[in-house]
Amino acid sequence: MTAATAAIEPGSGRRMADALAPGGRMALLVLTLGAILLLFLGPAVILVVTSLRPGWAVYYIYRGTAFTVQNYLEVFARPAVVHAFINSFVLATLATLFSLGVTITSGYMLSRFRGPIPRTWFGTIYLFRTVPYISWVLPLYLVDYYLGIYDTYVGILLPHIAVHICFFSWIMKGFFDGIDPSMEYAALIDGCTRWGAFLRVALPSAVPAITALAILSWLYTWNEFLFALILTGHNTAMITVTMAQFVTELGTQWNLMSAMAVLAMGPAVLVTVFAQKYVIRGLRI
Amino acid sequence: MASPARELDVASAAAGYLRRRLTALGEKERFMLLLIAPAAAVLVLFQVVPILIGANASFRDWQLFNPKGTWIGLAHYAYILSDPIFLWVVLPNTFLLMFATVAMSLVLGMALAHLLNWSFPGHRLVQTVILLPQMIAPVIAATSMRWTFNDQFGVVAAFLRWVGFGQMSWLAERWPSFLIVIFTDVWIWTPWFALILLAALKSLPREPFEAAQIDAAGRWRTFTHITLPMLRPVIGVCVLIRSIDAFRTFDQVWVLTGGGPARSTEVFSIYAYVETFVNLDFGRGSAAAIIGALIILVVAWLMYRTIDRLTNISR
Repeated sequence: MTAATAAIEPGSGRRMADALAPGGRMALLVLTLGAILLLFLGPAVILVVTSLRPGWAVYYIYRGTAFTVQNYLEVFARPAVVHAFINSFVLATLATLFSLGVTITSGYMLSRFRGPIPRTWFGTIYLFRTVPYISWVLPLYLVDYYLGIYDTYVGILLPHIAVHICFFSWIMKGFFDGIDPSMEYAALIDGCTRWGAFLRVALPSAVPAITALAILSWLYTWNEFLFALILTGHNTAMITVTMAQFVTELGTQWNLMSAMAVLAMGPAVLVTVFAQKYVIRGLRI
Repeated sequence: MASPARELDVASAAAGYLRRRLTALGEKERFMLLLIAPAAAVLVLFQVVPILIGANASFRDWQLFNPKGTWIGLAHYAYILSDPIFLWVVLPNTFLLMFATVAMSLVLGMALAHLLNWSFPGHRLVQTVILLPQMIAPVIAATSMRWTFNDQFGVVAAFLRWVGFGQMSWLAERWPSFLIVIFTDVWIWTPWFALILLAALKSLPREPFEAAQIDAAGRWRTFTHITLPMLRPVIGVCVLIRSIDAFRTFDQVWVLTGGGPARSTEVFSIYAYVETFVNLDFGRGSAAAIIGALIILVVAWLMYRTIDRLTNISR
């Protein structure tokens, strides 16, 4: 096989790859992998480097070797930042607990039953999954305001549960579809109630998948921006919004903003490194 | 004129009818309704009711400084649908972003999925690294991109200067700014396509590939004739979901350009937000939000029909 025939037949990628010497293929692979790593890790690395630079050395990032952790200390010295971290943590945890609690049963129903009720519910979920967030978060501002829950935990928690209902019911249905229902039928025949069959038989088998979804749900809430921007004020400010506010009349304080961004990235990095297997299982459609 | 006694009669008859209907439902149906009741309650209270309130507000003259809310009918709709910014900037931007990000993430994600389907040293490292953009907040991703592409001090600007281009201010122009928005979105979503397609690739049966190998089919031919047709349903669902979500993109655009320069990179969500919270016109903002929702509902329906015809995803 010569390089010339490989060039004549553009459809034969394998032969073209064979035409390159083994060393050449290796080099190609290394180059590709290097480019991928650079592309996907680059922006995060730039953020980390910037967060470790003193304020005056942020510009012209490629020069100088002055590094400091001062930015992190300065960011943490601000009560607003600490407050935002606590808020986001509490909200993400509560939203995960409640949205999973509400959607486990809904997904189970979609998976196990046929007929007009599941069909209607499934149609509703599809429909509201499609409606853009802004279309119901704008008026939600008025709802929160008139209910007196604007800028409280409840006022941001309930919309977060609502936004997860469609998506998670759908995913939960997939989880339960993967579990053989014959054990539940056996339990029903043996005199178990429907609730018993669900809670004691189906639910325990779904726990690994639900754990994966719990991790994702926590991160989605932690990362969320639009709801936080519209539905929170000083009391319940979230990290994403607080981070976007490191802009003063002198311009953006990139060193502080980066430090905050790196801190806010923490959970995502932990999950990526340590819970990768679970998360990839949860990232289904 | 009905007497009070007769009204009571009607009421009790109605209550009896309802009770009979509920018992007629049977315990299976009651169990089904009970399972979805909490989810349905939250959905109605915090998604359906706000949409109705928004629809009501969209017919009214309702500003922060004029909260009377006089009924003005379709005036806001007429205004938005004849607003040149909405028609010739916002809508094209929204659909361009939707199309570009879905198409590019799909192609790049497919390539990455094939790469990760091989085993090579460093496989796990690559998989970890590409998961990162999916896990970090879009706001953080956008912030780091804004810094990377800063036209004075960013790494890219420094590199371009080093290569020999002079000082450029691409953030002051429409298309370079919009390109950065698209790039950021592709950066965030390529891994999603890659990981889902990788899972799909791994679940494909091996026999067709072995048969193709015996018939000496090339890699590209195997891909177009075997892999792609078998992956069609997954690709169809991915494209549909991503398109719907791409239509409502807000975070990245807001952080990267804020819709600027001079509203030239505004997308639908930004437009509705700006009308409501910057121009403080609740009526007009709500109308914009409703128009956008209707547009994506129609587009998603058409896409669903088309994709279903091509791939039978409803099977």
